[in-house]
Amino acid sequence: MPDTGLPGSGSPVAEVLDAVKRFSAPEGGTVTALDEVSLEVSAGEFVTLLGPSGCGKTTLLRCISGFEDLDAGEVRIDGTPMTGVPAQHRPVNTVFQTYALFPHLRVEANVAYGLEVTGVPRRERTVRVAQALEQVGLQGLERRKPDQLSGGQRQRVALARAIINRPKLLLLDEPLSALDRNLRHSMQLELKTLQHELGICFLFVTHDQEEALTMSDRIVVLNHGRIEQIGSPEQLYHEPATSFVAEFIGDGALFTGTIEGDPDPALVTDDGLRLAIRDGVPAGRRMTMLLRPEQLDGAPAAPDSAFGILEATLEQSVFYGATRQLVCRLGNGAAITVTPSPGADGDRLYRAQLGDALRLAYRRAEPHLIEEARDGG
Amino acid sequence: MKLRLKRRLFGTYGVLFLVFVYAPIVMIVAFSFNSNPINMMVWSGFTFDWYWTIFGYPTQLNEQTLYVESTDQLLAAVMNSLIVAASTTTISTVLGTMTALALFRYRFRAQRFYQGLLYMPMVMPDIVLGIALLVFFVSIGMSLGLYSIIIGHCTFLISYVFVVVSARLAGMDNALEEASADLGASEWVTFRRVTLPHIAPGVVGGALLAFIISMDDLVITYFIAGVDSTTLPLFIYGMLRRGVKPQINAIATLMLLFTFIIASLGLYLRRRG
Amino acid sequence: MAVKRDRTRLAVLLGPVSLFLGICFIGPLVVMIIFSFLEPGLYGGVEWNFYHWNFGRILGWADGEWEDFDWVYAEIFGRSARLAFINVLITLAICYPAALWVRGLPRRWRMFVVFLITLPFFVSLVVRLFAWVLILRPTGFLNYGLVGLGVIEEPLDLIFTETAVLIGMAYVLLPFMFLPVYASVEKLDRSLVEVSSDLGASSFQTFCRVTVPLTLPGIAAGSVLVFIPSLGNFIVPDLLGGAKVLMIGNLIEQQFLSARNWPFGAALSVMMMAVMFLLILIYLRRIGRMQTRP
Repeated sequence: MPDTGLPGSGSPVAEVLDAVKRFSAPEGGTVTALDEVSLEVSAGEFVTLLGPSGCGKTTLLRCISGFEDLDAGEVRIDGTPMTGVPAQHRPVNTVFQTYALFPHLRVEANVAYGLEVTGVPRRERTVRVAQALEQVGLQGLERRKPDQLSGGQRQRVALARAIINRPKLLLLDEPLSALDRNLRHSMQLELKTLQHELGICFLFVTHDQEEALTMSDRIVVLNHGRIEQIGSPEQLYHEPATSFVAEFIGDGALFTGTIEGDPDPALVTDDGLRLAIRDGVPAGRRMTMLLRPEQLDGAPAAPDSAFGILEATLEQSVFYGATRQLVCRLGNGAAITVTPSPGADGDRLYRAQLGDALRLAYRRAEPHLIEEARDGG
Repeated sequence: MKLRLKRRLFGTYGVLFLVFVYAPIVMIVAFSFNSNPINMMVWSGFTFDWYWTIFGYPTQLNEQTLYVESTDQLLAAVMNSLIVAASTTTISTVLGTMTALALFRYRFRAQRFYQGLLYMPMVMPDIVLGIALLVFFVSIGMSLGLYSIIIGHCTFLISYVFVVVSARLAGMDNALEEASADLGASEWVTFRRVTLPHIAPGVVGGALLAFIISMDDLVITYFIAGVDSTTLPLFIYGMLRRGVKPQINAIATLMLLFTFIIASLGLYLRRRG
Repeated sequence: MAVKRDRTRLAVLLGPVSLFLGICFIGPLVVMIIFSFLEPGLYGGVEWNFYHWNFGRILGWADGEWEDFDWVYAEIFGRSARLAFINVLITLAICYPAALWVRGLPRRWRMFVVFLITLPFFVSLVVRLFAWVLILRPTGFLNYGLVGLGVIEEPLDLIFTETAVLIGMAYVLLPFMFLPVYASVEKLDRSLVEVSSDLGASSFQTFCRVTVPLTLPGIAAGSVLVFIPSLGNFIVPDLLGGAKVLMIGNLIEQQFLSARNWPFGAALSVMMMAVMFLLILIYLRRIGRMQTRP
């Protein structure tokens, strides 16, 4: 049972408690989209729901916004249970993946919509619309219709429209997925800034791990309707709780095997590969070791016992601008990626030709070890 | 070279195709202005007189021809057609739109049944529907007249409105209504402010379509019209059966004009929608 | 759209339509089917006895007390089916190249040309057929023109022939073929045609092996949509076929308006409805699967 994250300062803005949601599958039977999911979002937090498509992240968002009902469990906002409360009465707002701008309304009318339908007087409306448009940097486009806007501008209108009701929690359903790469990067930064300014919690859905790492205070990794891990981007990257998280976030090679104890602590894979590990891990356990590309480097001329050594063959060398990645093949046939660091040991790797035999090294205290569940999951 | 030839061949064909489609219609319009009362094929000068004769105004052509239909009957037929078309359009637009909303918005067991039920009147041969309605009205002892025509037209025009409005609903992003609810609008406000504006072009288009089809329907009306509820198409059909008269050209041209105006209005709305 | 489960509102939305179509659409069909199994009365009207000879009569067997074996109705059925089938071929032959032509036009023109082609569909049926009466009759446009040009000496018998009926039906039902065929031609991914020629197929091979198979759903839909109204048509044969080209539609009309044998007319209608259902069933089973549902 994964923990529900850090205890928030004060009462959480939103809580999801043991949420269960099932759908009937088109081919018969049911699909469990959410399987006892619990999490909380504290004041001012930027939380990301991350997972592959079909993992339940959008379903969770829709259950919080009120478009879907939970089969079991509860959503609470500011401590108030939301069961039975329809979407229009929940103090949350959503930025939709398709933006869902009303095509027949101008930008200003789209943004004002939430105020209008809740009966905010015209004077106040005008002021708040202008303010919201300024916050997202859209002054001057008030009279445009949605089809006269670029993708980025539409995104901003959707954002302005969603924040104008001053929600407790803003839900964002893959809002950047329709934008091109460059725009996406600048929007990521802008969203983060905006969130700071507004001081509202953001619950952000994405399948892009890079996006999640850049923007979030905390990330919730979902897979098959279950929470794999909740933690800060650093925690997820350096100390993934499951092999799924390790694989999903960042690059790296995973080795599953049995731990051998002193004097030479190592993880031995089923096909006999021996990898040195840090001291103090109880022997006999089955664990998975995560080796990140940047943890690997060319072996020093005379390595001491602080290093683990791997023999490999260079298969492919890929240039990424700032770095170069080498794809190497180990003795047992597994592929491993290396990002050599600048320095003598790294340089030796850079000069290697395809097919050359290489000696790779890592500090054996560095790689993270993941406890394998008994059921092998 | 070969490609260009192919293109030219297709272009020629396209023009011929449009000529085939429009020549008969253009011909009627041309004949309606021909002053020759004996032989339409011989052009003997431009005249508006056929238009005057159908409205009962005396012209010099009246004396030369024996083809004078009662203007009163014609106007009664036009009136009947307008009453029928206006009533059926109203009823079928309301019912068709409601059905489209129901089938799109709800999931229920009889859904497929309803879908089939709504497509059936459109594929049913006119004559079968006409016969069935005739037998039905006579069996329940309802006299044939404007009411029977209105009911008969509605049975299949609901389907046309349903199809047009459904197409519009299908093109609507589900998230629009959710966004509205998300921003605090009640279901009614969402319907009025988001759904209705979105499907409005479909509703208007469906209504126009229903109006035109109702105005033009011949076969079904033929079976379920009473003695004193002759509609315009029935009136012309009757005239035609008794022989070709130049006035028919004029009446037909007026009908064409009417149809084209409504169809263009429909196209204009679709462009804007 | 969030799926809603509010039964009351659903009932309010669907109630009126269910009531109306139930009484005024299904009701008449049921009454018609009942009528088709009733005994015709001597002077019009019906006797309330079960009577299956209405259907037997269509195929030639009749109540021996009244009639001898007579193929005449089966013949009319056969002629109607034949003419309807030929009409499908004619409209397809006219519309397929036209659809390809429209597709080849610049995008901004296409919608307008489609509008132009479908516009006459909205013109009253009588008006459109009246035009063809004017063209085909002995003193009509075509004969007058041909005689005038010296191509023929005596006016041809154009009207009141099967040819006239076919021309009229093709003209009237053209949009029913054009629209579905055009829809599938337009959807056809142009790169597939290019791939085919890139792989060495001739234009003809590409047409037969790529274009036609991929537009088959449209062709099938158009064929069903043209066949059904062709089969049941009675206005076109009435105006352009006269007494010589009798189709089922005319036969049915006669039973109701002159012969006053309602049960037999109802039986003919039921037969036609059965043919229609059969066709649609085949269409949905075989072709409907190929298309993605709308």
